[in-house]
Order: sequence, then C-alpha cells, then structure tokens
Amino acid sequence: GGINKPVIERIIRVDHAGEYGANRIYAGQMAVLGRSSVGPVIQQMWNQEKDHLKKFNDLMVAYRVRPTVLLPFWNVAGFVLGAGSALLGRKGAMACTVAVEESISDHYNSQIRTLVEEDPEKYKELLQVF
Amino acid sequence: KMAAAAAGSLRRAGWRLHLTLLASLSVLRCQLSVPQRALQASAVLRRVSDEQHKEPLASSSQQHFDSHPTDQQPEQEPQGPRPSSTGQGGQESEDYESEEQLQHRILTAALEFVPEHGWTAEAIAEGAKTLGLSAASAGMFRNDGSELILHFVSQCNTKLTELLEQEQKQVQLGEAEKKPLDQFLRDAVEARLRMLIPYIEKWPQALSVLLLPHNIPASLSLLTSMIDDIWHYAGDQSTDFNWYTRRAVLTGVYNTTELVMMQDSSPDFEDTWRFLENRVTDAMNMGNTANKVQSTGEALVQGLMGAAVTVSNAETRR
Repeated sequence: GGINKPVIERIIRVDHAGEYGANRIYAGQMAVLGRSSVGPVIQQMWNQEKDHLKKFNDLMVAYRVRPTVLLPFWNVAGFVLGAGSALLGRKGAMACTVAVEESISDHYNSQIRTLVEEDPEKYKELLQVF
Repeated sequence: KMAAAAAGSLRRAGWRLHLTLLASLSVLRCQLSVPQRALQASAVLRRVSDEQHKEPLASSSQQHFDSHPTDQQPEQEPQGPRPSSTGQGGQESEDYESEEQLQHRILTAALEFVPEHGWTAEAIAEGAKTLGLSAASAGMFRNDGSELILHFVSQCNTKLTELLEQEQKQVQLGEAEKKPLDQFLRDAVEARLRMLIPYIEKWPQALSVLLLPHNIPASLSLLTSMIDDIWHYAGDQSTDFNWYTRRAVLTGVYNTTELVMMQDSSPDFEDTWRFLENRVTDAMNMGNTANKVQSTGEALVQGLMGAAVTVSNAETRR
C-alpha cells in the first residue's frame, strides 16, 4: 500500500516549524552573545541547526507539504526566546538550548515510533532523515 | 432582467474573492474538516470502513486533494475519493461499476446539454438518456446542479494538471524552452479559463451555485488545489510564508480574471487576456514591495536588538 499522506504531512510541517524555530532561537542568542567568548560555540550549534532546517525544506518540497501558517509567529517568538535567554547570561542561554534540544529529541523519537509502528519499510527514507 | 440576474451572480462571485483571500490566509486545509461533496458522501463512508483507516473521515477526504505522490503521476479522476495513497482501499472489481463511477459517467454525459438547459436536473436527465438510462436517474443528484458543476470543475482541473505535466516533460526533454514565470502563470490561467468557453453563457449561474454554503468547502478546495498545482509546476519551492502569499495572490488573479471574462464580449476574449497580463505583472511587482517591507522590519528588529545588547554589555561590565 501507499504512504499515509496526512501523517507524513503533519510530521514534516511540525518538524519544519520546530527546526525553523530552533534556528531563530540561535539567531537571537547570537545577537546577544555573539561577541562574547561563548559566541563560537553558539555559532557552531546554529550551523548544525541550519543543516537540519535545510533537510526539512527539501522534504517539504519533495512531498509538497505546506509550511505552517504560524511561521511569522515562530520567527519572532524563537528570536525573542533566544535573545531573552541570552540576556540572562551564558548559563541562561545554555539552559535554554539544552531544554530545546531535549524536547526536540523526545518529539522526534515519538514520531519515529509512530512511523515504525505503522510500517518501517514504507517510511525507510523518511526514517533515515531522523 | 437577465442582466440583473447575471449581475447578481457576479456580485456573489465577487464574494468568492474575499472568501478565498481570507481562507488562503488562515489554516485552510486543517479547518475544512469534512469537504462534504454530496456526490461522494456515501462512497467515502464505504471506503473508510473498508480500509480500517485509523485517520478520521476528515483527513481521508483531505488527503484526497493532497494526493500528489512524489513520482508525480497525473491525477486521473480527482473527484473520486482516492484512498489509493493509503493502500488497498477502493479496488473495484472489473465487472462491477460502482455507483460513483456511474454518477461520473452520467455527469460527463450531461455536460453536452448544459449550454441548452443550464446546470440543471434537465441536463442531467438528458445525459442519463444518452447512456441508455432512465431520465429518473437525475433523481440521484441534488436539484441545484451542484454535483454537475463540481464534477465539471474537477474535470477541468484534471485537464489543466495533465497539460502542465506534459509541458513540464517537454521542457525536461529539451523539446521546449522553460517559460519565464509571468508567462507561465498567464498561460496556465488562460488555459484553465478557456475551458469555460463552451459553457460561458451559463457559467455565472454555476459560480453562484458554487458559492452556496453547502458547496463552499468543496469548491474552495478545488480552487486551492488547482492554484497549488499551477505554482508547483511553475517551480515554486517556497517553504516560508511566501507559500501563502503566492497562492493568495494567484487566487486573486484567477478569480478577478474569471469575473472579467464573464462580461467580456471582445473577439476571442482578448480583453480578458489583456486584463490577465496586467494582473500578473502587478503580482510580479508586488513581490518587490513585500521584500522592501520585510527588510524595513528586519532593520527595525536589529536596531532593537542592538540596543538590548548594548545595555546588557554595559550591565556585565559593571
């Protein structure tokens, strides 16, 4: 049988929104701490996120999924969260980053479970992205 | 009197513009919970139980309009509920025609009689008769011709997709030049609108039926997927808010051009195509303005952030 399109679309849309938001968080943090000693570390983590975002952009086009209509909101909210946590100092910035990464990780794991439960073969390609 | 009726239809059709613009800017597909296409309601219910689909009815009908598999097969019959992308569902056995397939055949046959009878039960009855069926078959459908019109729109959309698919292949094979974006959009919209020409006298009537509340989910859905198709073949790869603005803008262009066409009496609708050309040009220019607005916004944000950073640096140094 074919793939479950609505599930795929939701997964791609949500994950894309998440990666987009994560990118904006790092952008916000860099705006505040970019010139401090922890700047290079944040920049490196940001570069990784840019990669993730690109992956989901590609998936979005390949599967013809529409992006979330809330993008402008995530744009601002992410940036504010990043900048806000950075203004608390480097510990604040790191705590924010850790929290975000942990929740993304949990989220992806449950999505992987969903796809595998349904049919690992069908979704092999998508699962490899995770 | 006819002019007044036509004007009335056109005014209502004008509302479609507002509706589509609103809808395009909201979470469109999620909120169209169950596109109740009268034609398919029973068939969809049958399918859902057949497939043991975990998803609720909503997404099963929804996915139907998103059914562009990645290998890009052209859509054949978009109006039939197509659970084919989720698997088995709906494999009709060869020797038995489903009620739905029969309805499609009747409606297709009925189109021939629309110029004379309008989008009415009479046209459907005549269509049924040409297939050797009783005129009473028209009783299967609503009185206002909704299904007939939706069927026609769906057919036109399919034809457009096939045309665009073919043109794309020609470009890929190097047999044709890739068109510049504005040309592509103009040609696609013109091709789609030309399909109305044989029925143009009765089209205002159809437009107002499509705006009836019980038809809006279906007609809006058909409109948005057609616009999405055009952008897809135009090569749109936006993954940001542009995705929405492009579709909203093109929907506006399409709808206004359609309305102009209804009142156009120039030879071969040349006034309409000129109107279309101007609207597409406007749309292209709109992109530049939007960019300028965005950069101003960004500059503002950066200014604010700069101020915040300066303050925080001053704090840490103390």
